[in-house]
Amino acid sequence: MLGLAWSFTGSPISAPKHESTVSGNPALCIKMVTPVIRTVDLRSDTVTKPTESMRSAMANAEVDDDVLGSDPTAVLLEREVAEIAGKEAAMFVPSGTMGNLISVLVHCDERGSEVILGDDSHIHIYENGGVSSLGGVHPRTVKNEEDGTMEISSIEAAMRSPKGDLHYPVTKLICLENTQANCGGKCLPIEYIDKVGELAKKHGLKLHIDGARIFNASVALGVPVKRIVQAADSVSICLSKGIGAPVGSVIVGSKSFITKARWLRKTLGGGMRQIGVLCAAALVALRDNVAKLDDDHKKAKILAEGLNRIERLRVNVAAVETNIIYVDLPKDPKFGAEDACKSLEVLGVLVIPQTTFRIRIVLHHQISDSDLEYALSCFEKLFSSVPEEKV
Amino acid sequence: MVVRSVDLRSDTVTRPTDAMREAMASAEVDDDILGYDPTARHLEEEMAKMMGKEAALFVPSGTMANLICVMVHCEVRGSEVILGDNSHIHVYENGGISTIGGVHPKTIKNEEDGTMDLEAIEAAIRDPKGSTFYPSTRLICLENTHANSGGRCLSAEYTDSVGEIAKRHGLKLHIDGARLFNASIALGVPVNRLVEAADSVSVCLSKGLGAPVGTVIVGSSGFIEKAKRLRKTLGGGMRQIGVLCAAALVALQENLPKLQFDHKKAKLLAEGLNQMKGIRINVAAVETNMIFMDMEDGSRLTAEKLRKCLTECGILVLPGNSPRIRMVVHHQITTSDVHYTLSCLQQAVQMIQEPSLN
Repeated sequence: MLGLAWSFTGSPISAPKHESTVSGNPALCIKMVTPVIRTVDLRSDTVTKPTESMRSAMANAEVDDDVLGSDPTAVLLEREVAEIAGKEAAMFVPSGTMGNLISVLVHCDERGSEVILGDDSHIHIYENGGVSSLGGVHPRTVKNEEDGTMEISSIEAAMRSPKGDLHYPVTKLICLENTQANCGGKCLPIEYIDKVGELAKKHGLKLHIDGARIFNASVALGVPVKRIVQAADSVSICLSKGIGAPVGSVIVGSKSFITKARWLRKTLGGGMRQIGVLCAAALVALRDNVAKLDDDHKKAKILAEGLNRIERLRVNVAAVETNIIYVDLPKDPKFGAEDACKSLEVLGVLVIPQTTFRIRIVLHHQISDSDLEYALSCFEKLFSSVPEEKV
Repeated sequence: MVVRSVDLRSDTVTRPTDAMREAMASAEVDDDILGYDPTARHLEEEMAKMMGKEAALFVPSGTMANLICVMVHCEVRGSEVILGDNSHIHVYENGGISTIGGVHPKTIKNEEDGTMDLEAIEAAIRDPKGSTFYPSTRLICLENTHANSGGRCLSAEYTDSVGEIAKRHGLKLHIDGARLFNASIALGVPVNRLVEAADSVSVCLSKGLGAPVGTVIVGSSGFIEKAKRLRKTLGGGMRQIGVLCAAALVALQENLPKLQFDHKKAKLLAEGLNQMKGIRINVAAVETNMIFMDMEDGSRLTAEKLRKCLTECGILVLPGNSPRIRMVVHHQITTSDVHYTLSCLQQAVQMIQEPSLN
């Protein structure tokens, strides 16, 4: 990957001297011999590439101008996803970010609106603050618990008084995220979602679910998507993550919600023409890859257990509910998560530093059993017992 | 009895060709957010080179392209942009530059040829001395070809003149070049010469060039870097976009040379229509692939009646209440389609004007 060749001497690896990637841990050493010819991409389930049947579907897709009229394959996809989610209507969008942005902005279409959401939610952390900078909506965050939920009493306490105060924005919306990514791909219990829905209704608010990985939640819980999202007014569902389509998300909601969403999608610049090409791949993904998510979860569990057996690493295996694993490293300031990721990259294993001493791993259907073993062996080599000699 | 379908609503209706479909199916792809998609990169490099700019960025639509460009040039709160009162950005983009971007528009009358009077542009620039009351002008936008004027071409000389005004006042210049290639072919001027004075350009792939989706923005490296972040914020950050970019690369290769035939067919259609009693077309103004058809007063012809007849013949034009009918020619309209359209309209015109003969 860096044009380097090396072999394992049974000792942990360091990068060559001209790279400053590994900060001077004397125990780490390298000997350059044989090249790595393999890449195991565990950075995200977004890296999934279109399968042969997707490529064939894209090539043969029936298409039309989805702005001047409607693209027939997009219509098919939207109908199918609406049905899966148990909502009236659906709309294809280029990304999950746009799916969430549109949903928040449509629910909060009055100036001075506020949305309640998790302090560790994707919308709040990874969507460039777009709900505010583009939408003028104010966020009110509530602490995300380890299991991805927010305390019901805290949500209620965060709501602005309906009596309307000269100082307050107006709360319009609550957002949940299922599975909750930053908490490690955790599934929100259905009873919890229903309770939040009741709370929203009681206070005249809407409920949006960022369901980027809703299929993972559905498979892990053994509950149909439509039951999970029953209480929600809108949901955004990714096609390009675990189920592996090349591009896109779908928003679902009532007919009138989707009508407004369509207008806003155009305004944001998401009105694309012959999108049947992309929707055809998504239909294949829905047909072929939802069931495979169970394998991703199994592989995640296997990998988590294997990693946890490495003495210097810590993985909360019980917390691995779907396809995301957090690996905690020893708190060695000389070799943190970023350094570890770079060393792993040299071996062809791609992962992401989540925090200073935590690595994130995401499984998907294009990771084979042998990839899993290889990745584990690389972690073992990097973090196993530490010989002191340099090569 | 409808025997055929001729879609003249827009050049956006073009469907992917077999070569495009094949390219899409075999495209090399990767996650364009976590890293970069190799086919997207290839397309972006090609476009940047063609336009004579440092860098380029693929986006889902022309609307997003223009929105990003205006917002990046006008990233300071309280900005104002000068643009045509009949420009696509002002009329057909949902006012997004204001509602989403917080940018204030100052419109100048678009002349019949798509230009704005140079003096009027200069007069519209806010005097920095009036800053207590004024927003600050940051950007001028041109549109080439100019759609609402009938697909009219802005010359390189005119564009350069506007560029000089912009420079003199420390402003940027953006060109909405949705149909820039049509302008280039019609004028016989290379695209990079046409946009030399511009800081940024948006160029559509899904119109006359016929790709299924997308537009490319070009500009300096620094500009494109900011554009990329804004694209993500707007929700235009897509993953394995090589699929779409592969089709676009085919479009550039195969359909760019065909635009000249679209212009010829448009001229043929315009001339034929203009010969019909009661229909009036400024044939000289048909410079590219767009025609605006007007009905003469006292001719009994109305746009509403003609739209109805066209529909009955399977000829699609945009619905609406406008007294003019717009027709747009593209590479999937054949010469035979043009003749068919003319004969349908000839019959319709006769029927409406001489009902006693029926």
